[in-house]
Amino acid sequence: MEVLGNLFNIALLVATIRTTTPILLVALGGSFTTKAGIFNIGLEGQMLIAAFFAVVGSIYTGSSLGGLLIGVSAALLFALIYAVLVVSFRANEVVVGLALNILAGGMTISLLKAIFGTRGSVVGRGIVGLPKVQIPGARDVMGSSAQLISGFTPLVYVAFLAVPLLILVYNRTQLGLYIRVVGEKPEAAEALGISIARIRYGASMLCGLFAGLAGAHMSLGYITMFTENMSSGRGFMAVAILIFSAGDPLKVLAGCLLFGFADAFSLRLQSFGFPSYLVLAVPYSVALVALFALSWRGRPKRLRETAETIRRALSVHPADAGRDAPASRS
Amino acid sequence: MDLAVDLSGITKRFGAFTANSGIDLAVRRGEIHAIIGENGAGKTTLMNILFGLLQPDEGTIAIGGKTMIVDSPAVAIGQGLGMVHQHFKLVPSLTVADNIFLGMEIRRNGLIDRAAQEERTRSLSEKFRLRVDPRERVAGLSVGMEQRIEILKVLARNARTIILDEPTAVLTPQESRDLFRTLRSFVDDGMTVIFISHHLEEVMAVSDTVTVLRDGRVVATKPKSALSKRELVRLMVGRDVSFDRRPRGQTNGKVALEVEDLWVRDDRQLAALKSVSLSVRAGEIVGIAGVAGNGQTELAEVLSGLRPASHGRARLHGQDILDLPPAAIRAGGLAHVPGDRMVRGVDRTASLSANMLIGRHRRAPFARAGVIDWSAVHGEMWTLIRRFDIRARGPEDPARSLSGGNIQKVVLAREFTAGGDVLLIDQPTRGVDIGAQEGIHDEIMRQRAEGRAILLISTQLDELKALADRILIMFDGRIMGAVDGAAMDEDAIGLMMAGVDPADMTEA
Repeated sequence: MEVLGNLFNIALLVATIRTTTPILLVALGGSFTTKAGIFNIGLEGQMLIAAFFAVVGSIYTGSSLGGLLIGVSAALLFALIYAVLVVSFRANEVVVGLALNILAGGMTISLLKAIFGTRGSVVGRGIVGLPKVQIPGARDVMGSSAQLISGFTPLVYVAFLAVPLLILVYNRTQLGLYIRVVGEKPEAAEALGISIARIRYGASMLCGLFAGLAGAHMSLGYITMFTENMSSGRGFMAVAILIFSAGDPLKVLAGCLLFGFADAFSLRLQSFGFPSYLVLAVPYSVALVALFALSWRGRPKRLRETAETIRRALSVHPADAGRDAPASRS
Repeated sequence: MDLAVDLSGITKRFGAFTANSGIDLAVRRGEIHAIIGENGAGKTTLMNILFGLLQPDEGTIAIGGKTMIVDSPAVAIGQGLGMVHQHFKLVPSLTVADNIFLGMEIRRNGLIDRAAQEERTRSLSEKFRLRVDPRERVAGLSVGMEQRIEILKVLARNARTIILDEPTAVLTPQESRDLFRTLRSFVDDGMTVIFISHHLEEVMAVSDTVTVLRDGRVVATKPKSALSKRELVRLMVGRDVSFDRRPRGQTNGKVALEVEDLWVRDDRQLAALKSVSLSVRAGEIVGIAGVAGNGQTELAEVLSGLRPASHGRARLHGQDILDLPPAAIRAGGLAHVPGDRMVRGVDRTASLSANMLIGRHRRAPFARAGVIDWSAVHGEMWTLIRRFDIRARGPEDPARSLSGGNIQKVVLAREFTAGGDVLLIDQPTRGVDIGAQEGIHDEIMRQRAEGRAILLISTQLDELKALADRILIMFDGRIMGAVDGAAMDEDAIGLMMAGVDPADMTEA
């Protein structure tokens, strides 16, 4: 019991909120592209490039806000390149996304060497981290549980407040409605004179904005450093969450909380002496199992088609496989 | 004369092909004006020009007496024109009101004002007597209801002239009649309706004036009262075509295909067939009537081995076929003309020869020692091109270079010569011109005369009336009833297609 008490306490919840933030930000960004009918696998790269340039910008301008802006601009540039290739030139979205991810990985490593002359990571050197927001009076009212709402960096609040904001956007604003229409029934958008390309560009840039915030949060939030490949698959986990949530903000939040919790939990386990390489796999396995368990229905058309194409490419005899199953008859 | 729309000398070329050639069309205010013609006659091109989706190479457009350049749909809509497309463009996850106001949302403080949109929808719905529930989601509504929403969408944009492109293709006879009543009430209110169709009956039923297009030209514009159905066909096709019931001999062949208490699930795992039983004898055509989506596709798929059954039996010449793969069912004597020729009928990028070869690529004389003998394949394809009157330059043309009707003939040619004595034919003339339809019907009757057992699925009652010996009516996965093809009662069939049990009909 004592062990469990040590494992589950307020500190774990606080840690969950922190670890959820970057993946929540990037997944909410991906929600825009998913709703607009783009299967955006380039989230990882946008996040990574933002993390790197946030560090560079923070050193260069000497302020965390400067770092944030420069990091987000880098992600926006990547999002723009993605949109130009995918929307305007109709390149395959998976190929372009993967290419940009690889580019981001390689580029940050080379620039790390070129700018800082180091390999692996850059720490100190005048990086200014994001300030912590203390909500006045929180400690007086809530006592020790005040750390649940107070003392986070601003992007944590941005991430969680973005969830209701996105719900409002999708349900009550013209832009949100058009994004949904473009993803769900492009013919309808076209017939009404809504420019599909413009909406998809918009969705892609909004995605870049959020992915940029996620990246900046990683390198300027709780730890102020950049390490190679520091996004460590969060962009891909976000894609997985987007597939099962179909971009719905509440479901995205649920998926991200699950991942964040598993992440925080694994950090906790580590301090209890479990082998770290097993522990590090925990959040990914939990998320994978959860995704697997959830249904595949209700995804926007483009997403479904992409998944179907991938499946067809992977399976050799789909028809025969179905026929062998005796369970199909009752 | 008060003209709602006046097109004169409209010519539109696509490369060497002239889609519209010097077309004059004058639509009087307050009439229902039908534009009729075969596929490729230029109807849709003409309407797209009027609606600003295409620009004419020559000619002028006047709307409401003003000559103008219509270079976008926005201009046309601004002049009080509205178009109800053949394929509905509704967003399933949105509500009826959201769909109607999509693109012209009512907003307050930057947010969409749902209450106001619903209120406006309600008042439009009352004013035009088109009943809808503004808050309902579109997903799951019937096709007739979707069309009603499309019409309201046009009305919400203050249209006074409404263009409908093939509006009844997806409706039951009753829904069509409701639509015609609605259109008539529009005209009584002083609005104008332009109605594109290749369906003769409904043109005769609803229109005031008829313009017939053929090969991109106007061949006639006449008041309906001055036209007969036979004359309309002659104008459309350019020769006499008969759609009367085909004469036929008696049949008392053996039962070739037998289905008993068959249950099947669709892709959503819902019951698509509910206890379907039927049998087809050699030398007999059994028709399946029904509005598309009532289980006909699933019936064809399960009989051809493309979909598993959940319960029941199906026997081909006494042999159980439900557990067999498609190839084995074909080997057992069943040929299948699929309902969607582009999906399951042909590979449109492959040549005609390759499309004909599919399924017999291991057989002599097409394959020798496992190697395909292309000269034999092309030779056979030439024979089929001549026999089935397929309009193609040769066997090596890709399927996609042919018109819909000719692609359908390629599929029929393959299936009718595959050696099967049971033919499962799904929608043989969907999207096929009247002239070509006649040829396809001739071929089906020839197959009947040769003693084949034919199960003919069609959504067109005319077709079943001309061909079938017996007609079974499907609704919601069940066979509602059967009627004799020779003495068919269209009203009774229509009611059964809408789900009314024939047992309850006598009182009606």
